[in-house]
Amino acid sequence: MTATATSNPIVLSLRNLRKAFGAVTVLQDIDLEIRAGEVLALLGENGAGKSTLVKILAGFESVTAGELLLHAVAAEGNVRVDAHWQQARAEAEGVILIHQELNLVEQLTVAENIFLGHELTRGPFLDKFTMRRLTREYLAALECDIDPDTPMHTLAVSAKQMVEIAKTQSKQARVLILDEPTAVLTQKESQVLFALIERLRQQGVAIVYISHKLDEIAQIADRITILRDGTLVGHYAAQDLSQDDMARLMVGRELSDLFPPRSSTPDYQQCALRVTRLLVAGTNTPVSFELQRGEILGFAGLVGSGRTALLETVVGLRAAARANTGTLEVADKPVVLRDLATARRHNIAYLTKDRKGSGLLLDKGLVMNFSLFALSNYAGLLIHKKQEEVALAAVVDAFDIRIKDANVLAGNLSGGNQQKLLLAKMLAAKPSVLIFDEPTRGIDIGTKGQIYQFINQLAASGHSIILISSDITEIIGLSDRVAVMYHGDLTGILKDDEIEEHEIMRYATGLKSRQQIPVPIQRAIG
Amino acid sequence: MRSLIKILSLACAGFLGMGAGLVAVMVPSTLVAQTIGVSIPAATHGWAGGLNYHAEQTKARLEAAHPGLSIVIVTAGSASEQANDLEDLVAVHNIDALVILPFESAPLTGPVSNVKRGGVFITVVDRGLSEPGIQDVYVAGNNTEMGRVSGEYIKEALGGSGDIVVLRGIPTVVDEQRFDGFMASIAGSGINVLDNQYANWNRDDGFTVMQDFLARFPKIDAVWAQDDDIAIGVIQAVRQAGREDDLFIVGGAGMKEIVKRVMDGDRLTPVDVLYPPAMISTAMELTALKFIANMPVEGEYILGSPLITRDNAEQYYFPESPF
Amino acid sequence: MPTIDLKTAGPFVALLLIFGIGILVSDAFLSAGNLTNILARSSFIGIVAIGATFVITAGGIDLSVGSLAAFISGCMILLMNSLVDTIDSPIAIVLLAMLASVGIGAVAGLVNGLLTTRAKIEAFIVTLGTMGIYRSLVTYMADGGTLSLNFGIGDVYSAVYYNTLFGLPYPVWVFLAVAVIAYVLLNMTVFGRHCFAVGSNENVARYSAINVDRVKTATYILQGVCVAIATIIYVPRLGSASGQTGILWELEAIAAVIIGGTVLKGGYGRIWGAVVGALMLTLIGNILNLTDSVSNYLNGAVQGIIVIVAVYLQRGSWRKH
Repeated sequence: MTATATSNPIVLSLRNLRKAFGAVTVLQDIDLEIRAGEVLALLGENGAGKSTLVKILAGFESVTAGELLLHAVAAEGNVRVDAHWQQARAEAEGVILIHQELNLVEQLTVAENIFLGHELTRGPFLDKFTMRRLTREYLAALECDIDPDTPMHTLAVSAKQMVEIAKTQSKQARVLILDEPTAVLTQKESQVLFALIERLRQQGVAIVYISHKLDEIAQIADRITILRDGTLVGHYAAQDLSQDDMARLMVGRELSDLFPPRSSTPDYQQCALRVTRLLVAGTNTPVSFELQRGEILGFAGLVGSGRTALLETVVGLRAAARANTGTLEVADKPVVLRDLATARRHNIAYLTKDRKGSGLLLDKGLVMNFSLFALSNYAGLLIHKKQEEVALAAVVDAFDIRIKDANVLAGNLSGGNQQKLLLAKMLAAKPSVLIFDEPTRGIDIGTKGQIYQFINQLAASGHSIILISSDITEIIGLSDRVAVMYHGDLTGILKDDEIEEHEIMRYATGLKSRQQIPVPIQRAIG
Repeated sequence: MRSLIKILSLACAGFLGMGAGLVAVMVPSTLVAQTIGVSIPAATHGWAGGLNYHAEQTKARLEAAHPGLSIVIVTAGSASEQANDLEDLVAVHNIDALVILPFESAPLTGPVSNVKRGGVFITVVDRGLSEPGIQDVYVAGNNTEMGRVSGEYIKEALGGSGDIVVLRGIPTVVDEQRFDGFMASIAGSGINVLDNQYANWNRDDGFTVMQDFLARFPKIDAVWAQDDDIAIGVIQAVRQAGREDDLFIVGGAGMKEIVKRVMDGDRLTPVDVLYPPAMISTAMELTALKFIANMPVEGEYILGSPLITRDNAEQYYFPESPF
Repeated sequence: MPTIDLKTAGPFVALLLIFGIGILVSDAFLSAGNLTNILARSSFIGIVAIGATFVITAGGIDLSVGSLAAFISGCMILLMNSLVDTIDSPIAIVLLAMLASVGIGAVAGLVNGLLTTRAKIEAFIVTLGTMGIYRSLVTYMADGGTLSLNFGIGDVYSAVYYNTLFGLPYPVWVFLAVAVIAYVLLNMTVFGRHCFAVGSNENVARYSAINVDRVKTATYILQGVCVAIATIIYVPRLGSASGQTGILWELEAIAAVIIGGTVLKGGYGRIWGAVVGALMLTLIGNILNLTDSVSNYLNGAVQGIIVIVAVYLQRGSWRKH
């Protein structure tokens, strides 16, 4: 923004930090200085280690090796705190993290949430009056008109985010860490947040800011630290970097390295899946789209834009808003998908984004997980255990699942290997239409590349693929066409030259829409 | 407007009703119908089933004979439930007398004493209260006597010496008294108790425990099963082992199946010892007598535990009773 | 496999230990009569426990089994007594009653299953409710007393409990047959695999195209049928049913299942474990009856300690794994 403030006093610093989960190192050789009255932006691809880094700063994760230093408030000098830097201590020192996944108690009211854990009291009783008054003040500072007594669960996601931000004002923050706060906010709400950040910065609060939106970074950051694959790329003054520079430094390679060139083109004469005027429960705009044979159709959108809900409704995992709304055609034949088993019979498979919660039985071995979705392929009256094992061995080979022991439990596999096992599980049903929901979430860059290869090969061999992803580079790198969703509506389907980050974001934020839905004028690009 | 009038008139009717109730309460008790409350354990096992049967029979007989008399029977599944029942009997049914077979002695002493303070005539059955002086009438079987009668019979039938096994009920005062009475009666004789085990007043446990006794002891001359439900299980186990001719079984209580066997002269069950659930009838009749004839009935009535033999079995046989 | 799986072997080792104690305690223990008694006696709880293994493996619980056994016993006896005058052949009457028994068991299981899956009430509450219902129904049917089977039919039917085949009583053969069928069903079929999946993680099962509600309901039906089979061999033993019949069977069956290595929270079940667990519980009772070295008053304590130790040993070997 304006002047760099490198001379400001350091509040918190890291030296030679290393963080490992078991045998997997996720952060290495990280040096970092957080200074008062300065906005430090953390940039990096998904999985670069930003979230882990800020969790360490806020005491949610421990340091494996290296130093975490808390700098002098008074004359005590710098204190090395890494060994006993727990969340309570961090919060006591004024280091506060606002998580990407909101941390609110849905059943409580706004005021109760804001003072959760440090309730104000008068004698033995809660001082509800003061808490309500302060809540109103905090929210007013954010130009946010929410009643303090509103139950949390009745609020929209963006309002919840504002409450989460308001919560920090009830604590004396010295370091405020925001992990993708604008992902669910509108442009206008984002601008209000930026004004608050600016005010806090002037009060001498150190801000650590994570976002994928490079224009935001350019607008508010003083310094930028870029991470790639768990290592430090460098520290930069914000005015020295263009948005292009940022993207280049983040990715560190040409996109073509990660995303293999497509060896095939979709057959636009053959429709693999046609969804017509499907109404998802909780939305009011019917959705229609087509998936062609051999096509990779990307589904982009912000978190909560309704992509998962739409496709889970398509495959019968969720009930539609009303019975008989919309029609489905698989290979031009009308079908009714009551449940996932019916979808499977029509050669449709769905890969959940919740690998641990809905994808794999973590306390079971590989065989049971692998064959669960397509068990009838390996069973007559009885299960053919030999066949299962032979098939699994082939799959372990084909997908390069790295295991030391054939009896390992799925829960003990690395994220990448779990994801490959999950892929193998759905492919065991020999589907022709594949729906991947966040297929590379939380896995390392090497495995990501392998998964992109698989997806490409599948498309080349005539499979039709829907790819839901929040990683926009992934969507751009793989998709033939990109469907974009905003608040449950499919705002547009982009192809060819339109498939570009800014254009996708315009549809994803509701600024642009092919559908005839009204777009508020004031949200137009300013 | 019309609805307002309706409400007002309803309210007036309510006041009148209350007044009428007050009048009824103030009228001397001899002028209105008498109500006897009967509080007993629910019919969850055979003996209690018999108890309920006899209570219902007696209620029907007394109410038919004395039109002014009404009897309310309530059954409870636990001591605390029974305490609640007592409150209802007083508050709702406005009883003049209470006949109660307490679930447990100690927990119900207080509640019964409260009922007594309200001027209600109290008859306690089978299990005495923990404090003296609360009840007006006490009707009970005699557990010690029941054990003694059983022991005396076995001693006599075996000619003073032999090996026996004992199946007991559930560890309670009732079981203790019966067992102690039995042991006292055979003390000093040549009767040797090989072992005793709890069979929980239950047919299945009677069967299992007896099977194990039969496996363990090659020579058993007699079995004291203490209770007729246990005895039914014992009979099956003995038959399975084919040892019907080597021993005999003495049960207890007077269950109709066993009394029938005695009546028919079954060698395996030559006698039974009475501990009748019909004692509730005795208690109800005595209590009713107090009001109908104003006879002095206050006192303690301890029923004997006569030996039921082939000769007298008929008078203890109630084919219609569930027990 | 060359290595011995401690977690599988655990219950068998514990069973052998208790067996050893039995030999030391009494000469009568090893007699053929006593051993067949133990086997026949275990068959009721054992068969019920086999059904419970399915329910628990799929993440459910059924507390109504003991009451259901009493209720089915009562129904069978009333049915047979009422058919005496209309059907001449006692064998036909007994067969009809057996058929009715299985029917009632299956319907009772279906009710438990639908209430938990469709009405979305916790299995604990549903089966606690049906437990009370069946128990009081049988008390009502017996007027608080005992229902007794017609003497003539009882004579014919008693063969089912007392007669033997190759030296073993019929109930033991039934027990064995049920165990073998259940083993195949749980470990070698798609349905069994689905039980494991549903108990391990319902969500994963749903995302694997498994009809979770149907699998759960099926386990309750199986449980009901197992209770019916247990009742079919129970009724001829004493030919009677009362409010006391089958009391605490649910807890004994669940204990047998857990002793055998099935995990109470679901996802892991072992049929042979349940068989061993049922044998173990019966053995403990038998040994206590065969000795007077333990005070009668402490029988419950001894049983409790052995159950806890048996499960502890088995879980201890889990950790080493």
